[in-house]
Amino acid sequence: MDYTWHFQVVWDYRAVFVRGAIMTAQITFWATLIGLTLGMALGLMRRSQLRLLRLPAATFIELFRSTPALVQLVWIYYALPILTGLQMSNTVSVSIGLGLHAAAYFAEIFRAGVNSISKGQWDAARAIGMTYSQSMRRIILPQAVRRMIPPIINEFASLIKLTTLGSALAVYELLHEANNLINSTYRPLEIYTVLALAFAVLIYPIIYASQRLEQRWQIRQ
Amino acid sequence: MTALIRASNVQKSFGPLHVLKGIDLEIARGEVLAIIGPSGSGKSTFLRCMNFLEEYDHGEIWLGDELVGYRQKPNGTRVKQKPEHIAKIRARMGMVFQNFNLFPHMSVLDNVIEGPTIVQRRPRDEAVAQAKVLLDRVGLSSKIDVYPETLSGGQQQRAAIARALAMNPEVMLFDEPTSALDPELVGEVLDVMRALAAEGMTMVVVTHEMGFARDVADRVMMMDNGNRIEIDTPQKIFTAPSHPRTAEFLQRVLR
Repeated sequence: MDYTWHFQVVWDYRAVFVRGAIMTAQITFWATLIGLTLGMALGLMRRSQLRLLRLPAATFIELFRSTPALVQLVWIYYALPILTGLQMSNTVSVSIGLGLHAAAYFAEIFRAGVNSISKGQWDAARAIGMTYSQSMRRIILPQAVRRMIPPIINEFASLIKLTTLGSALAVYELLHEANNLINSTYRPLEIYTVLALAFAVLIYPIIYASQRLEQRWQIRQ
Repeated sequence: MTALIRASNVQKSFGPLHVLKGIDLEIARGEVLAIIGPSGSGKSTFLRCMNFLEEYDHGEIWLGDELVGYRQKPNGTRVKQKPEHIAKIRARMGMVFQNFNLFPHMSVLDNVIEGPTIVQRRPRDEAVAQAKVLLDRVGLSSKIDVYPETLSGGQQQRAAIARALAMNPEVMLFDEPTSALDPELVGEVLDVMRALAAEGMTMVVVTHEMGFARDVADRVMMMDNGNRIEIDTPQKIFTAPSHPRTAEFLQRVLR
């Protein structure tokens, strides 16, 4: 191994990385927003006593959990337009696709969080005359959210990593920018290494924070 | 005197398990009724049917002139009431649980004013003023701003009683309120309940505290295996029960 590293290349093209990072951040933002909103609704629906709500939610969740995210993205980008005539840009496809993907996982986190609150809390809320939504809003969710936050942060971290799947649809996120850069600079080692490190630097603190929160809240319970 | 609560032929099954086999009961305003019996006899389930935390399958439970949980249709059948209606009737009954079930994310004061402000939409100032009076009555004046986790079991249960009273309920339902307490903490909770009874509160108390049932209750109902075995004054129940099952049960628990 007498490879001579030339990290100067990466520095020279730092603007490309910044551009990719912005795109990665944008996709992550929209996917998280879609994922949390839809996930919360799906999680609620899946807990419903009405089959009409429960069944579609369960189907959606299990479908998205049991298929690869890459296949979901490719399907939304290439197959959906043929079936419905709805053609979305690659960036929008990735944002929505990952949003739906994340929603399935957020829904399960949400459901598990709500289920983790003891039945006695529901009893007490209902006994003072609260309706379902009052109980949920005032008593159950404030307690459940605390248990949901660490897994939500974890899911957020994995969502950032999943944005690299966008390169398969030629979305200019970090990985795709890096690939393009390699084609013009012939410096894959430096560029992939920096890319990996960039993700690690970004994501490790998030995972660490989630672990710390989990520990701290476990002690308090 | 007309009954505040009237139950007739109340039945309930959990799947194949027939846990209430037709309970009849009338509770007068101001009366204190103790429900005793072995575990699994259905006494807690029956209590929870009264405020519809548990749905009964047959029979009727009336609070005043309102049927609890169901609505009679003109053709004689009945359907479950709308959730808001059930919530409203529940708000007229206070309930105290074996495991306290205080809201852990709220201070003691916030626990007590939660129902009045959120459910009854009373002004916060008024609810706070009332809560302070109630917390003083249960001996927790100094604990107003602390969180439940820092309280002893006895203190938590007294706070839970204050929370239930804050709704100005017509009746208080107690579901084994001292069963989860360390023995030395039982007394302080029973004292609060005793004072409440002396003030004329209508109370239904599922309990294993035979001393409390004997001294405080106006009547005692013995349940076993989903049936009401007998109901009478504590004096009769504890000295001359008319049913052998009661005698046998009391002999076991009063040793």
